[in-house]
Amino acid sequence: MAECVGGSSHTMDKSITLPPDQIFRNLENAKRFAIDIGGSLTKLAYYSTVQHKVAKVRSFDHTAKAPSDKLYEISMQEEVTARLHFIKFENAYIETCLDFIKDHLVNTETKVIKATGGGAIYGLTGPVDKEDEMTCLIKGCNFVLKNIPHEAFVYARHADSEFRFQTTNPDIFPYLLVNIGSGVSIVKVESEDKFERIGGSSIGGGTFWGLGALLTKTKRFDELLQLASKGQHTNVDMLVKDIYGGSYGCLGLTGDLIASSFGKSATADTDFCKEDMAKSLLHMISNDIGQLACLYAKLHGLSRVYFGGFFIRGHPVTMHTITYSINFFTKGEVQALFLRHEGYLGAIGAFLKGAEEDNPNQYSWGENYAGSSGLMSVSPEMNPLQRARSGTFDMLEMDRLERQLVNLPLLQDPSSYIPDTMDLTEDAPAREYWLYCFEEALDGVVKRAVASQPDPQEAATRAEKFCQKYRHKLQTLRHQPFAYGSLTVRSLLDTREHCLNEFNFPDPYSKIKQRENDSALKYFQKAVKALEQLSWEDRQFALVRGVLAGNVFDWGAKAVSDVLESDPEFGFEEAKRQLEVRPWLVDCFDRWLERLKGPPHKCALFFVDNSGVDIILGVMPFVRELLSRGTEVVLASNSGPALNDVTNGELQILTERIAAMDPVIRSGLKEDRLTLVQSGSSSPCLDLRWFFSPSYPSSYRIVSTAEVCVCVCVCVPPSLSRLDKVLAMVVRERQTDLVIIEGMGRAIHTNYHAMLSCESLKMAVLKNSWLADRLGGKLFSVVFKYEVPAGKC
Amino acid sequence: MAECVGGSSHTMDKSITLPPDQIFRNLENAKRFAIDIGGSLTKLAYYSTVQHKVAKVRSFDHTAKEAPSDKLYEISMQEEVTARLHFIKFENAYIETCLDFIKDHLVNTETKVIKATGGGLIVCCPLHGRGCNFVLKNIPHEAFVYARHADSEFRFQTTNPDIFPYLLVNIGSGVSIVKVESEDKFERIGGSSIGGGTFWGLGALLTKTKRFDELLQLASKGQHTNVDMLVKDIYGGSYGCLGLTGDLIASSFGKSATADTDFCKEDMAKSLLHMISNDIGQLACLYAKLHGLSRVYFGGFFIRGHPVTMHTITYSINFFTKGEVQALFLRHEGYLGAIGAFLKGAEEDNPNQYSWGENYAGSSGLMSVSPEMNPLQRARSGTFDMLEMDRLERQLVNLPLLQDPSSYIPDTMDLTEDAPAREYWLYCFEEALDGVVKRAVASQPDPQEAATRAEKFCQKYRHKLQTLRHQPL
Repeated sequence: MAECVGGSSHTMDKSITLPPDQIFRNLENAKRFAIDIGGSLTKLAYYSTVQHKVAKVRSFDHTAKAPSDKLYEISMQEEVTARLHFIKFENAYIETCLDFIKDHLVNTETKVIKATGGGAIYGLTGPVDKEDEMTCLIKGCNFVLKNIPHEAFVYARHADSEFRFQTTNPDIFPYLLVNIGSGVSIVKVESEDKFERIGGSSIGGGTFWGLGALLTKTKRFDELLQLASKGQHTNVDMLVKDIYGGSYGCLGLTGDLIASSFGKSATADTDFCKEDMAKSLLHMISNDIGQLACLYAKLHGLSRVYFGGFFIRGHPVTMHTITYSINFFTKGEVQALFLRHEGYLGAIGAFLKGAEEDNPNQYSWGENYAGSSGLMSVSPEMNPLQRARSGTFDMLEMDRLERQLVNLPLLQDPSSYIPDTMDLTEDAPAREYWLYCFEEALDGVVKRAVASQPDPQEAATRAEKFCQKYRHKLQTLRHQPFAYGSLTVRSLLDTREHCLNEFNFPDPYSKIKQRENDSALKYFQKAVKALEQLSWEDRQFALVRGVLAGNVFDWGAKAVSDVLESDPEFGFEEAKRQLEVRPWLVDCFDRWLERLKGPPHKCALFFVDNSGVDIILGVMPFVRELLSRGTEVVLASNSGPALNDVTNGELQILTERIAAMDPVIRSGLKEDRLTLVQSGSSSPCLDLRWFFSPSYPSSYRIVSTAEVCVCVCVCVPPSLSRLDKVLAMVVRERQTDLVIIEGMGRAIHTNYHAMLSCESLKMAVLKNSWLADRLGGKLFSVVFKYEVPAGKC
Repeated sequence: MAECVGGSSHTMDKSITLPPDQIFRNLENAKRFAIDIGGSLTKLAYYSTVQHKVAKVRSFDHTAKEAPSDKLYEISMQEEVTARLHFIKFENAYIETCLDFIKDHLVNTETKVIKATGGGLIVCCPLHGRGCNFVLKNIPHEAFVYARHADSEFRFQTTNPDIFPYLLVNIGSGVSIVKVESEDKFERIGGSSIGGGTFWGLGALLTKTKRFDELLQLASKGQHTNVDMLVKDIYGGSYGCLGLTGDLIASSFGKSATADTDFCKEDMAKSLLHMISNDIGQLACLYAKLHGLSRVYFGGFFIRGHPVTMHTITYSINFFTKGEVQALFLRHEGYLGAIGAFLKGAEEDNPNQYSWGENYAGSSGLMSVSPEMNPLQRARSGTFDMLEMDRLERQLVNLPLLQDPSSYIPDTMDLTEDAPAREYWLYCFEEALDGVVKRAVASQPDPQEAATRAEKFCQKYRHKLQTLRHQPL
């Protein structure tokens, strides 16, 4: 690990000391500042704007004289998005950092520094508002809990996976926040604006630090923790067995239980070693806080208890002792939860408070994996080398999403829904495989990224940077799979997309998609004609095979991209021949056919996958059949590019062209029985909980290293069409009774186990031999999963 | 105060070193032993019988032939044997000597059983609960509220026969929090490793002071604000929006985290004391609220007669419950384990079916061994504290005609709180003493022998009155 992070000094990971201009980015556009000066660390937040490229598609004017043979043109546009930067650094650097900022500010008169925290207040040029620390903390906490997937985790030191991330539940209230700073504050949070400090304790981090310093003559907090992690508390504490010789059965006290902290030092004349005293102190304080937290949680009927503050911050040893204590006192009834971005809560809250007129809370935000350091990247235990460095940085970047995230209303149980089929954090062989797989595929991605750009020379340099960054992320994940929450195929894919965007490769597959769409469109009418000649029953089977065969065309899967690369003429028919013959690996076709003999569905929501053959020759004929049956169809496609997935912009143009050729599609559009919506996603996978439509991508990032931490956040004006409204309309007004999910990313890597409250159809071809093997099939095995919720048969 | 108690060394007060035969009384009749060896103190209990004279009246037989007396009845002195419980508390250092002495004086050793409880430093809660039930039921004014700056530091609670349920917080080396629901139903609902042992252990490490009492003395002289980080140290004043006053301790030992100065022993000891007392206070409150209990009794060596710990615990409870829960202390809490162990061992004798009364003559007063109250005592090597209880012949019950037994207070005037009345009545009783002695001697058949005993009575009672003048509780 040390080697790995050490080697990253030349990358963008920012986990080590950086020149100030790489930390305080976009200062020239900075709009608003917030500063949170804590006991040892200062957190700075500012609001700025960044420019970046987006790929746009525009239909050619086919009425013009010289009609192009291309369906649409691709153009790169510059877009300005707002960004929130958070920086964390040791208090010693305050002067240097503020000086640097002052020198780089352009219009100082508009800036306000919002100061929170118990430390000293430093003014910049503008007035300094001392914001209420607790309000900021709670605001920040609500913010990360609502917006960052896998923000909260359970810590289990000896489990297979140390960090077990909680699935995001949009219903975050009420909860208990136990903030362990110098002292302890126990706060009950009931809603966005309603919280109450219900308790507290003077035995907190300051006590560990203060008493530790007196006992061990060690002045640094981190060093004290290191001492503690090496000590044996049993040398200092009096245990139950020291008194009774064993357990004290009648009271249910085990022999190893601490009867009296420091009990042995009361009477012994020996000297105690520093490590043992530090460990005993740590146990004493952690157990005490744990017990208090449990009691307050029980008294107020709260089951979610989040721990934060500098005592906890990224220290496995304190997380372990707190977790142990909570488990001991509640016998598992209450879980100790920790937050990945806990150190930023105050700064985020102060910023949000200052930026209230911009309504940042009305937006949803997404973590940008490209710009964010992983969890524990600054932990001295994880990386002892870092301790020696003076000023180190930690970052988190988040993209601001255009709308509030909502659950797909058709999920059977949103709170238990987990999009990802496999948790690579806990499944080591799967993790090994997928990390290898993504690393193998990297060269191909780089090649295509360069090809997508107008200037190959300049693009190659950027592509090399992207390659370095993503490779480093993969290496980090190999050693710290928990760095960004639960590691999943989805998060690996998303990380790659974020890294590509970071280096201005907004859509590496744009040209490939364009070529595929153009050529597939030529066969559309022929394919439809062939289908119409089949008997009804044969046609239903052919339509399903068409969707499955079309789905074989997928650049995201390595086995397929090899074939596509070497044989671009790999045809639709050949793909059909490659398909597994029935019975398929998962084969519900007979039941589906039976269902089709019954009354038509009211409305089908179809999450589509790839461009080209998939959407045009596979999906569109299937949609056409549904429309002919009298079923309304809603096609949900990605808002932003991801691999060769068809984007909403592309699909609109495609559909118009198909409508021009096909009366069924045409009348469907005209009568509003065929609707296109954005899924809001820019990922090859699908999280049914969160829908948004970031027509303007935006991001905010937090940079993190040991002691300086930069967080950048981007804000954009909200778009007018709100997908959540569209979805609500689809589900409620059109009475959606069928959800179709297509492709490996959306139906296998994610949602394979998703339970919906209406009928659902999951279709995919296993284009990865390892995954096929895992699922008990082989390459090109077919998953055709038709499910009817219980009670609706 | 010091002078007064210091002067008591020749009295029966037994608050200082006594020859073992004055401490372990009635050993020849001792029937059953229980021993509770704590972290610093050993508590010994035994059951014995004492002979004493009772005056009996007998009606003359008026039908008898010979010369009928003109007296209504005759008075006779009879010897009566009554059961007595002896409880003695002494420092662990004297265990050997004391046990040797006891062994030498036992007559029929084979019948005696020694029940060891306590197990050193942790609390054996069922025994403590038992002991606690016993003293609460049998000793009037056993429980009191401590208020350092009030007119009367100690405000005694009237005995309520309905003592259940209550919370017993025993602060020994660690802390045990026991919910007592009935005579036999106890549950350890919580506990903490931050207790007396932590104060002692951490205190010893920080101040190089090895004695618990000395640590307490250091603490009583210190300023915790030099070591603790207060709310106002952080915010410059109170933290209004959260309702935190500026003087509230934000972080115990918070100042020692970053300051390079050396801290004085007294300040560190005080800070430690506050830290531990506040923590226990908060835990006790939370458990009391969670279980709906309003009476919380504190005991254990951390509390035992130390005004400074009683004060900090009381302060903490008041702070955390805003007065909803009262911190109650027990006059005889040091004996709870021994009493409980004894009662358990003596179950065949059904001691619980009897009522017992405190024998004021044989018992030391509250605080008699407290170093704060009596600094002289600190210099002495072995101090003994005694409690003797006489078995009453029948169970006492409330007069069923009382309107509200729980609020019934037999006494019209509380001299503890009414200083002029106290002055007057103490004076009054002292004045009357000579008359009482005279009448006592006259009541005896042998005036010579009676005069000697009357002198002893006079001395003892006068000393008790003097003690009460200075320690009305």
